[in-house]
Amino acid sequence: MNTMADRVSGLFFMALGLAMYFWINPNYIETVDGGNISPATLPNIISIILAIAGAFIAIKPTDHQLRNPVLMAKTGLYVTLLTAGIWAMSWFGFEYVAPVLALALMWLIGERRPLWLSLGVVAMPAIIWFLVTQLLGRALP
Amino acid sequence: MVEFSTILAGFGDAFSLYNLAFVLFGVVLGQFVGAVPGIGPIMAMAIAIPFTFGLDPLPAIAFLVGVNKGGLVGGAVPAVLMNTPGTPDAAATALDGYPLAKQGKPLKATKMALFSSITGDTFSDIVLITVSAPLAVLALKMGPIEVVALMIFAFSILAGLIGNSLTKGIIAAAFGLLAASVGQDPENFTPRLIFGYWDLFDGLALPSVAIGMLAISEILHRLSEAHGNMRPAIIAKDTGNPDDRRVTWAEYWSCRFTMLRGATIGTILGALPGIGSTAAAFMSYAMTKAGSKDPGSFGKGNIQGIAASESANSAVVGANLIPLLTLGIPGSVGAALIISAFMIHGMQPGPLLFENQGRLVYGLFGAMIMANFVNLWVGQLGLRLWVKVVSAPESIIFSSALLLCFVGVSMATSGLFGVAIMLIFAVIGYLMASFGYSLVIFIIAFFLGPRFEKSIAQSLALTDGDLTQVLKSPVALALLILSVVSVVWFLRKNVHGEDE
Repeated sequence: MNTMADRVSGLFFMALGLAMYFWINPNYIETVDGGNISPATLPNIISIILAIAGAFIAIKPTDHQLRNPVLMAKTGLYVTLLTAGIWAMSWFGFEYVAPVLALALMWLIGERRPLWLSLGVVAMPAIIWFLVTQLLGRALP
Repeated sequence: MVEFSTILAGFGDAFSLYNLAFVLFGVVLGQFVGAVPGIGPIMAMAIAIPFTFGLDPLPAIAFLVGVNKGGLVGGAVPAVLMNTPGTPDAAATALDGYPLAKQGKPLKATKMALFSSITGDTFSDIVLITVSAPLAVLALKMGPIEVVALMIFAFSILAGLIGNSLTKGIIAAAFGLLAASVGQDPENFTPRLIFGYWDLFDGLALPSVAIGMLAISEILHRLSEAHGNMRPAIIAKDTGNPDDRRVTWAEYWSCRFTMLRGATIGTILGALPGIGSTAAAFMSYAMTKAGSKDPGSFGKGNIQGIAASESANSAVVGANLIPLLTLGIPGSVGAALIISAFMIHGMQPGPLLFENQGRLVYGLFGAMIMANFVNLWVGQLGLRLWVKVVSAPESIIFSSALLLCFVGVSMATSGLFGVAIMLIFAVIGYLMASFGYSLVIFIIAFFLGPRFEKSIAQSLALTDGDLTQVLKSPVALALLILSVVSVVWFLRKNVHGEDE
């Protein structure tokens, strides 16, 4: 029985709970005098629950199987691309970045057919532009 | 109690051409995306919500109801034609739908799925309309102490029922509540866990979190498995017999008890938070097979199997709204998304909704009934078209869906900050799903978090911080005891499951 995945996630949540309780909550939640419930009460209770439940999962894991690591690495590549896309949009705007982002995504997926590529790179961003700016009267990012 | 004139006015609002247009659009979109394996109605609803901002509440909600209902019908198409359910709910449909399609009767299989889906859906809608108002009256008698106890009970049930580990369910719920505590605290209005980002002062935006976790994380998962190929739908040879392309009245009527049983199972399970339509479909299928005189024919193209599955999974949709409209607790992610549309339009879910927005609630009921008829009509016309949709390339579907998510969240949160939050929660959602933590519990806990904390504060104010006052409320006490019992029961079940 492979229990590694649950041990890792359990330890992560235990560490998160402890970090929240001992460091993040005291430093990033203001203390207030008065009121029925302090701003830190619920986050503190939740942090304790997270730490205890995380420890429980680490000690008594299930045999949950992690997704294929190769596929997870591939997902990391897509996340990097999307992050770059958001960053580029903040500088150049949706109109210029969307076709490039769509092309990169479709190319990474493995699409090579010109018709589908042109539909995804030209037609779809154009349809979204028309829908948002012309029909809904809203601004694109 | 809601006045009769309000009920009539609500239904009158719903049955207008303007709303019909939005229901129609929603159903067409829902059937379309339901037919695409990997997208599904939940993802479509998540993406569509920001685009409904500019609309009045009723057409916006009618549109989302159409997407949800249409998606369930559309989900049966790839299940029948490719043995690849478009939605998890349709997995049981594939058991008999696919063999029937391979016998040269794909249209009979998809039409049976359509008719039984509409039948189950209409049944649960009638139950919803009948029971929700009286239940809401009862729910109004609950004070903050009872609401806190009810939410604790809901969390314990959700954590136990969804997924295979109670502890993981508790972690998902706690993590959702933690995410909900970001932003100003509801009691003192001081900033909390915002790390200097004042964009977070109003909390993490629901569209960013919901779309990131439900839509983008799933798209990321699908992207990693995509190869850019066209997915082949089965090319079934037509038998040449017109009866193999339609469902006769005799065939439909022969399934009446199966559909009634499926609809009843779906309605009961749908009314309980956390039990999804997939469980209802498989339970209905198993009971129909067990009660059949010819159980050997199941799995080989028996239309009773399709009727059992589809009537049950569609009946869950209406029933899911019962806990939502009466108690303010969403029973599923679909219900949470519908209620988030309510909140975007300034309405607070819960029993007061009937009192404050009765006309709108009955407008929603009217839209649901209308959506069933539209679903039937669009399904009859569109089934042949959706057959083409199932083989559309993933590359264009996923890249377009991602761009729509970017634009939708940007519109909903007024900028790219919300889009960045969306991507962060997409990664969190992807990792949580990879490690076996329920996203459904996370989202529901995130959604309920602010109300949970507010109810705790109100309870403390009412009791002067004396927790023994809980003992004076029999309802709260019963709910807390039930929570403990359910946690112990689920823990024992988990231990027995591991032993076996």
